[in-house]
Amino acid sequence: MSLIDFSKSEITFKVVYYGPAMSGKTTNLSWIFRTIPEKVKGQFTSIATETERTLFFDFLPVELGTIKGFKIRLSLYTVPGQELYKLTRKSVLKSVDGIVFVADSNRDRREDNIKNLADMFKNLEDYELPDTPIIYQLNKRDTPAIMPVSELVDDLQLKGKAVYLGMASSGVSVMECLKGITREVVSKI
Amino acid sequence: MEGQLSSLVITKEDIETIDELFSQYLVDSQAKDIILLNKSGELLAKSGAVTRESAVAVSALAAGVFSATNELAKLLGEYEFTLTFHQGKETNIHISLVDPLILLAVIFDNKAPIGAIRFWAKKISGSIKPVFEKMAAGPRQEPSQDLKKGLQDEIDNLF
Repeated sequence: MSLIDFSKSEITFKVVYYGPAMSGKTTNLSWIFRTIPEKVKGQFTSIATETERTLFFDFLPVELGTIKGFKIRLSLYTVPGQELYKLTRKSVLKSVDGIVFVADSNRDRREDNIKNLADMFKNLEDYELPDTPIIYQLNKRDTPAIMPVSELVDDLQLKGKAVYLGMASSGVSVMECLKGITREVVSKI
Repeated sequence: MEGQLSSLVITKEDIETIDELFSQYLVDSQAKDIILLNKSGELLAKSGAVTRESAVAVSALAAGVFSATNELAKLLGEYEFTLTFHQGKETNIHISLVDPLILLAVIFDNKAPIGAIRFWAKKISGSIKPVFEKMAAGPRQEPSQDLKKGLQDEIDNLF
């Protein structure tokens, strides 16, 4: 649910990076944090376990700039991908404006991608948010044993949808995905 | 199933009313900070010494905690828990539901007894509630067509 604050002339959107465990959601946010100028980013909050896996969520507020006198802000979140944290994922998705689904291209993660995507749609259905804009990042294209893009598109039923090929650890398609989802969420205002 | 609005619109007048109430309650209750947020974790208003940057992070975490607590409630057969309270050595935080979309976080130091914290949180929440009831009942201020068009046309320039 976007927030339009006329007192401060600000519009804030909530964008969630969703996807299976270790698919690169936090890596996307870390890259954004490292890349964007100091003055436009807020505090990067990460709640991780001792093994540095996301436990609750990562949070990064970003100020993109001003349009027609209104500051455009994004609140970027990740969810924990592990099966164990199913309900935490659902809670982070509450009132979301847009989603970047980060899939892992490795063949051995095929089932995890499918399961996690179904879990996301179920949560959106529970929150009555079926029209939430979603873009898809097929990540880890630089690792061995990846699935061909066409196979991933078939598996996740992505034909005709916004799909980006990512290598988030080296920044490939990270900003493009952010730009893509921002364009989608502002069109809903 | 939980239906949601596509956006929450806050006007200048709403924020002025809330700021005025908060300033008064900050003195009366001796709270350190009062933070108002929505359930998606966006900061709506704040009063006290807390910086905007910290208040933004507190809002995201408080909404996350609240939302996670409500998943716990559902597992236990409750519809929702209406408040959560965290007690530390130096600082306490009380997070409560103002209306279905809005949360109030009140931060106290360790001198305040729990009863007083609950009393003030309830009182502040009760005073804020009519602002949101009025907001829900009245006509919504909508973004202008010019702004909507600007968002479509100029968003790419921000990257």
